[in-house]
Amino acid sequence: MAARRNRHRLLLAALVLFTLVNLVPILWGLLISLKQPADAFAIPPKLIFTPTLEFHQEVWLERGFAGYLLNSLVIAGVTVLISVPVGTLAAYALARMRSRVAQPLLIGLLAVRMLPQILLAIPFFVMARWLGIIDTYPAMVLAMVAVNQPFTIWLMRSFFADVPVELDEAALIDGCNRWQAFRLVVLPTVRPGVAVTALFSMLLAYNEFLFALILTGSHTKTLPVAIAEYGGEDINYWSLSAAGAIGIMLPPVIFTLLVQRHLIRGLTFGAVKG
Amino acid sequence: MWLFLLPSVLIMALVLAYPLASAVYYSFFSYYLGGTGLRFVGLGNYLGLLAEERFWSDLLTTVIIVGASVALQLAIGLALALALYAVGAWVRTITLLNFLPHVVTPVVAAIFLKWMFMGRWGLLDSVFISFNVFPPDWLGDPIWAKASLVLADTWRFMPFLMLVLYAGLQSFDTSLIEAAEIDGANGWQRLRYVILPMMKPLIVFVVAIRVMDAFRFFDLVYVLTNGGPGTATETITLYTYQLAFRMLEVGRASALGVLTLLLIAGLIVGMILFLQRRGREVV
Repeated sequence: MAARRNRHRLLLAALVLFTLVNLVPILWGLLISLKQPADAFAIPPKLIFTPTLEFHQEVWLERGFAGYLLNSLVIAGVTVLISVPVGTLAAYALARMRSRVAQPLLIGLLAVRMLPQILLAIPFFVMARWLGIIDTYPAMVLAMVAVNQPFTIWLMRSFFADVPVELDEAALIDGCNRWQAFRLVVLPTVRPGVAVTALFSMLLAYNEFLFALILTGSHTKTLPVAIAEYGGEDINYWSLSAAGAIGIMLPPVIFTLLVQRHLIRGLTFGAVKG
Repeated sequence: MWLFLLPSVLIMALVLAYPLASAVYYSFFSYYLGGTGLRFVGLGNYLGLLAEERFWSDLLTTVIIVGASVALQLAIGLALALALYAVGAWVRTITLLNFLPHVVTPVVAAIFLKWMFMGRWGLLDSVFISFNVFPPDWLGDPIWAKASLVLADTWRFMPFLMLVLYAGLQSFDTSLIEAAEIDGANGWQRLRYVILPMMKPLIVFVVAIRVMDAFRFFDLVYVLTNGGPGTATETITLYTYQLAFRMLEVGRASALGVLTLLLIAGLIVGMILFLQRRGREVV
């Protein structure tokens, strides 16, 4: 037994060590954001220095990142407001239909989600150009709804599938019509599922890069595009872009803490329940 | 019941079906954006791409990077999941911390990694140079650049495999493992003959998801190497991007997109057939 406990301790130590090494890139970015540029690229790497928040302040307030954050939030927010209600309705129908009908539809949705995104990006760009809506919110929101919709339906369906059908049937017998059964009886029981789905589709839109790169411009630029333009190349801007990068990272980190119980379900389209 | 589907169907017809149909339509035309308009060329775009050396070398690059990184992710993710399962302590903290690279905005993750790999000023190089070792050019050498991308992709997606596989392990019936232990199976034998066979369907599932996703590999390459040096790390998606949005060759780019789609579809069908045949052998 003692040998076994020692082995466990060793394994745990190895896991902790691995975790630390795995986090080095993020920690290093955090350090750069707190250093003067001269310290950031000292050789050997400098670990002791006077930390400063001036770059965080500069990038968000003076370099326009606050505005890009607003763009990101507007696009992600409106996307969720369209995608989640519409997707929830469809998910409910698919969860309650005979599986012979629902199954092919669901597989079709999965196939859509597996499409190479660039194939969707090309016509979006052509049409947005033709309509003259490049660099407006609607172009980006429509694209994000397109990307999000299959995912939203799948994830919501898995939450509806957890609700026993007897609940609907009881409501129908009590004189509700389908809509009332959905709205008054089933929907309230999946409220946490709706919240989780909304958070996941928000994150998807917030992190999106390819579509943002081609559909946004100076008026609607989102954070990922802005930080990619700052890049990591020019060492004079290191501290600034590190400060930006760390800030952009915060919402996804908070998101992870919020949905930790549902992470696996969300990541696997609701196919694996954590 | 069908009324519940209606809004979603309408929206998807507008923002998914219609654009996709147009992309397929464009792929049969010579269509230079900002030029003279569409000229029908039949399968010309497809045949042109298939005769091109760049297409084949990009395909090879994509396959190498996808294959190597998915294999590496699976190995590390599985090892971590098994270690977490065996230790059974601090699980939540360790998984959450290791999960960070996966939730961080992809572009941001790519920039963090760039500060690792960058020549001279990157963390790797400054550590090497402090020890008076001259490091390779991580992002500038054709072979090292591929290796760096594999590491980068692994860093991003290993957490996903770890988390899903660990969840799978937890849901298994432990009595089988205990029975094997009583029968005198050592740790390795329990892993090889009891645990891994139980996990096989889940492993196939996550690998399938990863392979399909990996073909869309874009953000990391775009920021880390942008396909360079030369076209050494140019993936199919990056080439499509260049064709469509740099050269504005919408027709050819659409054809390339459709080819990628066919490739992925072929891969999925192949995987399903393979699994079915394996299944029959067992029975």
